[in-house]
Amino acid sequence: MNRHHAFSNGYAAYPRGKASHNTFPVSPHRFQPRPQPALRRRRQLLQRLCLIAAISTLLLILIFPSFRALFLPAVSLGLVSSAEDLQLETVRYYDLSKMQGSGSGWEHGERVLMCTPLRDAASHLPMFFSHLRNLTYPHNLIDLAFLVSDSEDDTMEMLSSMLDDLQNDADPKMSFGEISVIQKDFGQQVQQDVESRHGFAAQASRRKLMAQARNWLLSATLRPTHSWVYWRDADVLTAPTTILEDLMRHDKDVIVPNVWRPLPDWLGGEQPYDLNSWQESETALALAETLDEDAVIVEGYAEYATWRPHLAYLRDPYGDPDMEMELDGVGGVSILAKARVFRAGVHFPAFSFEKHAETEGFGKMARRMGFSVIGLPHYTIWHLYEPSVDDLQHMEEMEQERLEREREEQEQAERAERVQTLFKDAKSQWEDDTANIQEAIDKEGKSQASDYSSSSDVDSTKGSAEGPVAQPAAKEQGSAAITQEESTKERKQAKQ
Amino acid sequence: MAVARSMRRTSPITVFLAALLAFGFLCFLLSPSSSAAAAAPVTDSSSQLRREDAAEHPLSPPTKPFLKSQAVREDGQKAPPPVMHYNLNELSSTSESIKKGERVLILTPLARFYQEFWDNVVKLSYPHEFISIGFIVPKTKDGDAAVTALEQAISETQSGPVDSRFASISILRQDFDPPIQSQDEKERHKMSNQKARRESMSRARNSLLFTTLGPSTSWVLWLDSDIVETPATLIQDLTAHNRPVIVPNCFQRYYNKDTKKMDVRPYDFNSWIDSSTAEELAGMMGPDEILLEGYAEMPTYRTLMAYMANTGAPRPSREIELDGVGGTALLVKADVHRDGAMFPAFPFYHLVETEGFAKMAKRLGYSVYGLPDYFVYHYNE
Repeated sequence: MNRHHAFSNGYAAYPRGKASHNTFPVSPHRFQPRPQPALRRRRQLLQRLCLIAAISTLLLILIFPSFRALFLPAVSLGLVSSAEDLQLETVRYYDLSKMQGSGSGWEHGERVLMCTPLRDAASHLPMFFSHLRNLTYPHNLIDLAFLVSDSEDDTMEMLSSMLDDLQNDADPKMSFGEISVIQKDFGQQVQQDVESRHGFAAQASRRKLMAQARNWLLSATLRPTHSWVYWRDADVLTAPTTILEDLMRHDKDVIVPNVWRPLPDWLGGEQPYDLNSWQESETALALAETLDEDAVIVEGYAEYATWRPHLAYLRDPYGDPDMEMELDGVGGVSILAKARVFRAGVHFPAFSFEKHAETEGFGKMARRMGFSVIGLPHYTIWHLYEPSVDDLQHMEEMEQERLEREREEQEQAERAERVQTLFKDAKSQWEDDTANIQEAIDKEGKSQASDYSSSSDVDSTKGSAEGPVAQPAAKEQGSAAITQEESTKERKQAKQ
Repeated sequence: MAVARSMRRTSPITVFLAALLAFGFLCFLLSPSSSAAAAAPVTDSSSQLRREDAAEHPLSPPTKPFLKSQAVREDGQKAPPPVMHYNLNELSSTSESIKKGERVLILTPLARFYQEFWDNVVKLSYPHEFISIGFIVPKTKDGDAAVTALEQAISETQSGPVDSRFASISILRQDFDPPIQSQDEKERHKMSNQKARRESMSRARNSLLFTTLGPSTSWVLWLDSDIVETPATLIQDLTAHNRPVIVPNCFQRYYNKDTKKMDVRPYDFNSWIDSSTAEELAGMMGPDEILLEGYAEMPTYRTLMAYMANTGAPRPSREIELDGVGGTALLVKADVHRDGAMFPAFPFYHLVETEGFAKMAKRLGYSVYGLPDYFVYHYNE
């Protein structure tokens, strides 16, 4: 025991310093029990207290289950779930200043809401989905929203199955973000066929209903996480796959491309389609003054001559696609807008707002609230060509003409063929006959040498040879053919 | 010293083993309780309803809670959100709101947090599993303080008894600065500041509305953060009228020095019936000017609902038709908002914010009603 060199109270056994007798007034040889430290004296007590506390808590937990909620999170470190926890997250926190939208959204992970209103659009869906799949903007950042309204075909079933396929695609980069399919019927009596859709009288009420549908779709699907909203119709025929990036790059509040449509050659090959993108004109403003509160000016009809510069007519196929033009009204085929525009309250007026409704009213309202509204005259997307009733009539006439022409051609060809077959038959028959006759003549010549007979035999042979030739011709052919045939035969006979 | 000696001899291994044993014991004790809890909600209709309504993915309408655990694809990657169908044809907003389980969205632009406000909301007797709440808070120092206090209050409620928890709560931070920093009562009500203030307020309201409305909301209740007292049956009472837009009368309690006791006085003057004087005034105004109510500089002679209250013998179900509404407490059918009725942040027929909203709702073909004898109370500063 190494402690033997010292006393139990901790002092060295022998004074180290020479003047130690001054520093140690207490005699080192006197026995003193080592004083117990306070902690060790109370340890026992503490241990007992802890033990009692632990037992009582355990008992409490056992007897009163409601106490568990108090202890559990602390004791289990969150490993054991709380008794009342439903495993639901109920509180969400969003900072809208982070969802402003910038010119390079794909780099900053900005979410885009893509809205598409559908009505009896089953025939367009395969085309639309191929466009969706080809979009180059990161798919997981795009949320899709569809509104299926007043559809009588199988739009809904088709959409559901195609969306399921899309979302469960083997390629993980193919699936999109949140997908909402909204079903809402507005009881539209307005027909969707091209003629009634574009007829002047139906426009105002039709566009108010369209506006209502757009607002329902947007209000149900816009989330605080969205930085951009992209409106796209299902009946777009071709559009660049980079359209989102191309439009976003301009970093404007509202931006639309030019919309044209291809036409059949007999109609000129192509045509401006969307006439709702325009700049305001003095004439139109003056016209608006004269109209009553609920009137809606619709563009592209002779009834309202507005003399506005239209985006569509300014297209130059070889122009700079980045060229911008300020607009007041916009068309709805393809609109990219910052979500903050919609958050500020701009929507598609389903009433007459400054004499406009739907997308044109949207453009007007955005301008009213100080947002920039821009069109790209030389950046073009192509809308599907659906022939109008006039076109259809014209096409039907053309089709009939074509059919008639075809039938005529066919008839002529048939006739020519038949004539030819008859010719051929006649010719070969004739040749055979001639050969026979020749033979007969030769024979006759030989027999003449031995037994000279009259020429009546030769005549009868000729008649029998001619008989079978004339018969089928008389059965099938008209008199013209027969006369033709006979005349040729006569000629041939004459030659002979 | 026997105990002390034996303690000294305990090796770390013994202590470790003892701890392990204790932990195992605890686990054994607690595990049956959690399994019992997991089985419990099956019998609890409210919890079950909440679970059924929950969205699978965080990318979902803010009016729905979402599951904490997320689905995983076969290849180990996070599963994409499912395709969700919402049939809005089946969405109703009727006078039998509770019976049909119609969902209510309470929207509150929050400038300051009052505990009394939150307590009052928690006290509402409409089934809480049908209530979602949305807040929008400006990004200022005051706003930060308000959010901290609000989150504290929310976490208490949302971890409390299941029946008093709300279906979901969203807190939004505004993406633009309020025009005046001061929320002072006097500064706030200065006429020159009103237009800018109310336009900014409109944008805040629209931001809140259009991002949180979602596909399953039937009713929207606008409730200002300084409404500290309402009847607990507020939502049922207002939905019972089955009107597109309906507004109760907003009063304020104060200490009446003349009578030496607590008294009430009208507070919100934005609910009114239009007058020919106001229409004439509007006719003479420029396109960017607005008409304001409750200012002596601009007498409009409109009939104010605030003064139509019969405090002596109130008939709470008495309805009147209005032309302008205030936003302190306002119940709107979600359809009205979905059709596009919003709070104009620009002079709309010389009206902005809630008054402009009433005008827009009327332009869309809806009528607007007020309840002069049904009171809610504003905070008194």
